[in-house]
Amino acid sequence: MLVPKKNYMFEMIKTELTDAIGDDYVTTRDSDKFGHSIDYYWIPEMWHDRGKETPKPDFVVHPGSAEDVSKILKIANQYKIPVVTWGGGSGSQGGALPVYGGIVLDTKRMNKVLKIDRESLTVTAETGIIARHLEWAVNKAGFSTMHLPASIACATIGGFLAHRGTGVLSTKWGKIEDMVMSLEVVTPTGEIINTLPIPRHASGPDLTMMFLGSEGTLGVITKVTLKIHPQPEARKFRAYLFDDFHTAMSAGADLMRSRLQPCAIRLYDETETLTHVKRVFGMDIGKGAYIVFGFDGKEEIVDLQMKYAREIMEKKYKGRDLGSKGGDLWWENKYKFFYPGYMFRLPQAFGTLDTVADFAHIESVYWAMKKVVNENFPQARFIGHFSHWYEWGCMLYARFIFEGKDVPADPEEAAALYNRVWDLAIRAAIANGGVINEHHGVGLKLGRYMKDLYKNSFPILEGLKKTLDPNNIMNPGKLGFKGV
Amino acid sequence: MNIDKFTDTIKACRFCFMCRHLSGVGNVTFRECDTPRVRAAMIDGITRNPSEISNADFIRTVYSSDLSAACRFHCVNHFDENGLNLAARRDIVEAGLVPGDVSKLAARLKERAQAPKISGGKEEVLYLVDFLDDEVPSEAEAFHKIMKKAKAKFRVAEGCLAAKALRILGFDSEAKPAFEAFAHAVKASGAKLLVASDPAVYDALKNDFPDLGVKLSAKVAHSSEFISSLKLKYAKKAGKVYYLESDFLKNYNDSYKYPKVLLKQIGAECVPFGTNSEESYTCGEGAVVLNELRPKIVEDMAKYVEARADNPETDKIVVASPYTRARLSQNTKLKVSTLVELAASCL
Ligand SMILES: Cc1cc2nc3c(=O)[nH]c(=O)nc-3n(C[C@H](O)[C@H](O)[C@H](O)COP(=O)(O)OP(=O)(O)OC[C@H]3O[C@@H](n4cnc5c(N)ncnc54)[C@H](O)[C@@H]3O)c2cc1C
Ligand code: SF4
Repeated sequence: MLVPKKNYMFEMIKTELTDAIGDDYVTTRDSDKFGHSIDYYWIPEMWHDRGKETPKPDFVVHPGSAEDVSKILKIANQYKIPVVTWGGGSGSQGGALPVYGGIVLDTKRMNKVLKIDRESLTVTAETGIIARHLEWAVNKAGFSTMHLPASIACATIGGFLAHRGTGVLSTKWGKIEDMVMSLEVVTPTGEIINTLPIPRHASGPDLTMMFLGSEGTLGVITKVTLKIHPQPEARKFRAYLFDDFHTAMSAGADLMRSRLQPCAIRLYDETETLTHVKRVFGMDIGKGAYIVFGFDGKEEIVDLQMKYAREIMEKKYKGRDLGSKGGDLWWENKYKFFYPGYMFRLPQAFGTLDTVADFAHIESVYWAMKKVVNENFPQARFIGHFSHWYEWGCMLYARFIFEGKDVPADPEEAAALYNRVWDLAIRAAIANGGVINEHHGVGLKLGRYMKDLYKNSFPILEGLKKTLDPNNIMNPGKLGFKGV
Repeated sequence: MNIDKFTDTIKACRFCFMCRHLSGVGNVTFRECDTPRVRAAMIDGITRNPSEISNADFIRTVYSSDLSAACRFHCVNHFDENGLNLAARRDIVEAGLVPGDVSKLAARLKERAQAPKISGGKEEVLYLVDFLDDEVPSEAEAFHKIMKKAKAKFRVAEGCLAAKALRILGFDSEAKPAFEAFAHAVKASGAKLLVASDPAVYDALKNDFPDLGVKLSAKVAHSSEFISSLKLKYAKKAGKVYYLESDFLKNYNDSYKYPKVLLKQIGAECVPFGTNSEESYTCGEGAVVLNELRPKIVEDMAKYVEARADNPETDKIVVASPYTRARLSQNTKLKVSTLVELAASCL
């Protein structure tokens, strides 16, 4: 922060914040500051593990409304203090870390479900609500948001909007950006604005899309209206095993090209099939590449789609049918991997190299990333699966894992090794037609590749940032934008 | 240190986000530190740098946990963040770092825990009228009414709950002799069955006694088990009710089945409360005396429950725990009764 704690100004700022939103909602307690100094990014976790200081905010504030947020941002502009919006802290890119100190603006107090519209099938909610709580509320009314990410229990809806997040049913129901009707945003200078009430129009460029994926750099998203859907009558899964990853990928791509509408497809490469499928889903299926897919909706239509999908898998690509059980086990255990006991953990070093490309490029992206990781870091493992599928391509959820013994004890050296993996793998993805990320966002971790990715269009984004945030208070140093 | 026995839990929980939606206190304070992840990470820091245990903010956070064990129940591998938190409390006590508010409360509890009371007679059933709340005398009256109808004889006893509360606050060395004195008194009384209405007392008898190596000469039942075993005929049906699970009966005792058995016997038609069956709606039952330490948080937890009721002013809410009954009645408009009260009203 720009004002040191021993300076009298520190107390003055605290008083102003307290005056604006109330004593209970401004804290400088050590436990609060500590709680906001580690998100789901491996680097702060590793720092903490090695006893190194993690980046703390000076103040943590819990606004209860857009008006509260506006007051906080005006104070921050007055004193030119960085403001980092924090939802659930479950982001894996260091986006919510207060690397320059300042104010952490925790959104979780803004957690109300404001309206369920049964005519238009939409829900309006404040964005600090934990996604699971929103889904439960919508379920109680008989609907679903169909946004079911693995972090549903811990991430806020605002976090997903800020990151363009996605859930397990994205292949049919879309990523969060496909689910949004409109937003309320508090801009960096404290104006409370609303984007247009509906997502499809020819009334100029789309402001809603501009704020989605902005990762707290262009303002605080305080309210959202999302589409909701009736719970489907049936949801059925089926799995197949193919000899190799290429055949499985061709079968998956054909399923998408057939324009059937699977709600999910997931394809595991040979390495992950051997490890993950057995260990997490409890299926001992032997060698090959495992693919699972499902359909949901009216049962008759689900069954018909399943029939055609099975023809693709069995007749054209000769996949070994693992039956509906092989698919159901995946669905039942879909979040299990993320629980300790299954998930990687320190002292291992690991990261999700997620990217997306069209079908013409996705295999090259996979092989290029695998090659650079294998060649440059022979001590690391590289595994991958393909999680979110589109009519034109799919997302690669690749992971690298170093065992603890292969990670330097010195935190700086460990971070350098870690960053080097990203440098090589992300650049390999870009060079082969991928992008730097599909749904985890950019944050601190991937900011340095934004210029590589956007090339001469990055100044447009920089210009936008400068116009909206003249004092550069909102999450400086993230998304490839300049720091303090 | 006691926390050293929880290394696996520390390593598992310190960076894990998977049960944060169930943090009863975190859901009303919105503080990251009131979640299993951050509490475990803080304690992890203490294992590396023991002097951090004296940080007053950390201590405050440790004593703000609601200890519902909803996280452990939810967790795929059942890591025991609850146990870790209790171990941290013991370490704070052993290091002489107990904060003033906890110290004062503990002094009152110690006084209360000193001498167990058992009424005279030869009856084999001892009913534990062990409540820290004066707000729920109707619980014992309801039990008496049911026993009268069943023509069942019993004696009353007291002397476990204050010790349980002491244990929850980290004062094991004070809790253990109190439990021993109680066990001794039970043996001397010749009682064969201990019936507890308060799930915290039931849990103390079932889990804390053996954990501290204190042997009981009598069997233990929660009042719902005992009353349902009487197989009484009820004149009225309880009708549509919302049953809020008890932390101790569900999360600490493997979804103890008797509350539901009793509800069925009295003709209750149970409607799911709120939006899910995973969150704890007990207002901190697992922490036994959270209302005394953190009244504002407990008030907010009660309001959180109220906000999830379908019709807050008319819904019939039933709880197992007199603690929860008292908190909801004090802080909300909800119409709440305990299982025993509801059963008595159906006679
Ligand atoms: C176990 C686990 C599984 C995961 N699985 C998935 C998955 O299936 N799909 C997926 O998409 N992601 C997944 N993630 C990643 C993570 O949950 C997402 O990135 C999520 O969007 C982060 O939300 P959050 O509320 O935790 O945001 P935070 O981590 O608090 O913040 C992330 C970024 O968003 C900004 N931000 C937060 N709220 C707002 C707001 N209201 N307005 C403006 N900016 C804001 C922050 O400043 C920061 O830059 C997973 C994470 C974990 C821990
Ligand atoms: S109890 Fe389980 S789910 Fe909760 S934080 Fe610990 S490891 Fe994660």
